[in-house]
Amino acid sequence: MPSVLKELAGYVVEPFLLQGAVTAIEIAAVAMVGGIILGLGLALMRLSRVAPVRWIAWFYIWFVRGTPQLLQLVFLYDALPIIGIKLDTFTTAVVGFALNEAAFSAEIIRGGILSVNRNQSIAASAFGMPPLLTLRRIILPQAMRAILPGMANDTISMIKGTSIASVIFVNELTFRSQQIVGQNFKFFTVFAAAGIIYLVMTSAIAGIQILLERRFNFELERKPADGNRLFGFNFGRAATPPPAAAIGKPVKSGAVVLDREWLQSLTSGASNGDTDSRPFVIGRNLWKSYGDREVLKGVDFTVNRGEVVVIMGPSGSGKSTLLRMVNHLESIDQGEILVGGKHIGYERVNGAFRPTGDLASARAKARIGMVFQHFNLFDHLTALENVMEAPTRVHREDAAKARETAMRLLTMVGLSNHTDHLPHRLSGGQQQRVGIARALAISPRLMLFDEPTSALDPELVGEVLAVLRQLADLGMTMIVVTHEIGFARDVADRVIFMDEGGIVEQGKPSEVIGNPRHERTRRFLRLVEEKTEETDVVSA
Amino acid sequence: MRVFQGLKRIIYICTLTLTVAFGTHAAMAQEAKCHPEQLATKYPSLVGKTIKIATDGATPPYSMRDPNDFNKLIGLDNDMAHAAFDCIGVPVDFMIGAWSGLLPAVIAGQADVMWDTLYYTPERAKEADFVIYLRAATGGLVQKNNPKKIKSLDDVCGIRATAGLGSTEEAVFRDLSAKCVAAGKAAIEIVTFPDIPAGSRLVKNDRADLLMIDLGLVNSFIAADPDSFDLAFSILTDYKVGVGVAKNNKELSQAIFDALKILQANGTEEAIYKKYNFDHKQALPTEILTQ
Repeated sequence: MPSVLKELAGYVVEPFLLQGAVTAIEIAAVAMVGGIILGLGLALMRLSRVAPVRWIAWFYIWFVRGTPQLLQLVFLYDALPIIGIKLDTFTTAVVGFALNEAAFSAEIIRGGILSVNRNQSIAASAFGMPPLLTLRRIILPQAMRAILPGMANDTISMIKGTSIASVIFVNELTFRSQQIVGQNFKFFTVFAAAGIIYLVMTSAIAGIQILLERRFNFELERKPADGNRLFGFNFGRAATPPPAAAIGKPVKSGAVVLDREWLQSLTSGASNGDTDSRPFVIGRNLWKSYGDREVLKGVDFTVNRGEVVVIMGPSGSGKSTLLRMVNHLESIDQGEILVGGKHIGYERVNGAFRPTGDLASARAKARIGMVFQHFNLFDHLTALENVMEAPTRVHREDAAKARETAMRLLTMVGLSNHTDHLPHRLSGGQQQRVGIARALAISPRLMLFDEPTSALDPELVGEVLAVLRQLADLGMTMIVVTHEIGFARDVADRVIFMDEGGIVEQGKPSEVIGNPRHERTRRFLRLVEEKTEETDVVSA
Repeated sequence: MRVFQGLKRIIYICTLTLTVAFGTHAAMAQEAKCHPEQLATKYPSLVGKTIKIATDGATPPYSMRDPNDFNKLIGLDNDMAHAAFDCIGVPVDFMIGAWSGLLPAVIAGQADVMWDTLYYTPERAKEADFVIYLRAATGGLVQKNNPKKIKSLDDVCGIRATAGLGSTEEAVFRDLSAKCVAAGKAAIEIVTFPDIPAGSRLVKNDRADLLMIDLGLVNSFIAADPDSFDLAFSILTDYKVGVGVAKNNKELSQAIFDALKILQANGTEEAIYKKYNFDHKQALPTEILTQ
């Protein structure tokens, strides 16, 4: 028995076999890198809005997944020379495995991308992040958790699967062990030794998988990091100490105290030059339909500088669609919207409006802050990183300055103790206040609020509305879609009531809410008032 | 049209890769002497070349690893190849790959010759030229003491037989099985194996009664594990074994032919056969077969 073990141990450290293991690793490593890069491209093609691009990617995946890899390798090695392309053994193996892996990893990556909540990319778009930046900073880091297990599987499969490349003269571990067995017939010890060597290699992959999964598990606590990372995650543990020095005066967490002068200087910087007397936002004859359903039927509206406009109406009335048209999160079927005298992402060609190529930069230039019903915070970034993301990545602000601004904003909304917390650790009210800070960080000229309190527990509504009130006091131009009647009554300069894709009535809150002219408005207000009495008391 | 021919060729190469056949060998002699220094005058197209020899390194006694140094190749075919190209005067480089990929690589120009128990068939000769040197013999491998008393192919009805997937032996078993059934006897239960050592394990573990393959291989198995195996029978076949050379490489075929002739005449071949305990009666006078 010991002699068998000795023989086994001898084969485990046999250089002839180990050289084969190295060959397997070399091929798998290079092919995996190539395969993932190609696979990412294919995954994006599969998700493209352009049908032929989707078809090409689908066809490639269909073909490569559907044909035996052995034949693909033989084809590359022995058929390409007919047309004058003669690849050597190693290159053929790397190319063959990479092309194959591309098809498989494309589907894994696509699955990962699809697993990320759509709210994430909507928020990124609203802040003017271009698609590739959104992919790199927001989508992929979150998709990694879904992608990693499948990728680890593929890597392990590939290391073992390099043995089929023996047909194109690759002498890796399995083939070498077969040769030894072919010579001495000691299949038990030789194959067992090969198995042990494979186990060592695949254990390394499994270990790397554990480490990577830990890195991408955003539910684990992590230490704060600086804002200079390439991706939305970092591989080193600790980073800079919490930048408490940036906070002017310590504020008790939870209290909301806006620093008026500073905030005005922050936001007026962007609106300098807008001195003309026309309304800041002008919407003309806006039409929109989803399929057969008409959502907006010829809406006209305006918002003046410094005005707070509240849009109310039953669900399905088109109010959220209208709001999202302002920063071109929704396309306009007919009509136009001007913000500060400019179309966002549209150009006029022969009298008709056409989307421009670079919508992201148009959104970024418009400097419109947006706050969402479901907060849409970037789940893998801390509160501070959420606020810093658009200033540093879209507006290329200096990281230190952006950090200071972010710290001040978070302090103002009462979250100085939560800057390094990930969104899932915060309450709904806290998350929404981070959302507001994030919108303010881009020095907005206009703030859009899409039902900012609808997803909150009643006792948390007040803390969010308090921030909105103070922003209104500062003279921020705001469009707020909400059902909070108390807020509308106290804060709004004008209330627009919408129903069935049109504006039913609009005017001062005292008119629309206090003395509505239309029966539809009255009916809606009665319904909402009954439901929100309690909340109203809290927020008042 | 060129595209069509290319496609046909690709299909053929792929088919060939899947159709794995295992081969065997034999030869004789004339006289002459090697003149490697005359390479430039006799075979100008080979000057400066390193001949790439495709072999699988896992087919004893023809091509296998040296037990004393796994990085070295030994075996009857490899020794013959070394001797032949030394005689011609060109250096060689062995490319080791799975057997089924060897001939496709030669046809595609990735390797220059396949020298590894390759049986000549008219079908294969459409894609490559053959320089034959050996007559194949088939052996029957059975468990020690031949428990099923198989003495010849007349005793195979109702047994469990194994052969390489797609090999000539598999076809023989299928034929014989049909004949058994026609004669009112039990059919042969045929199991195919992917690689030869795996086939030998079928016999050793009593999963098959008879393995039929090249006699040289069968003798290697028995020599390596005489407590487990015995030879049931041997048959000298009509199959010729040769070196596979690309169709467009006539000068290389001629060079190999000339060299083999010399090796057969001057006793080198016989010495190599003897070294591997291989019956020199299987040697065939070398010949180029192009169709």
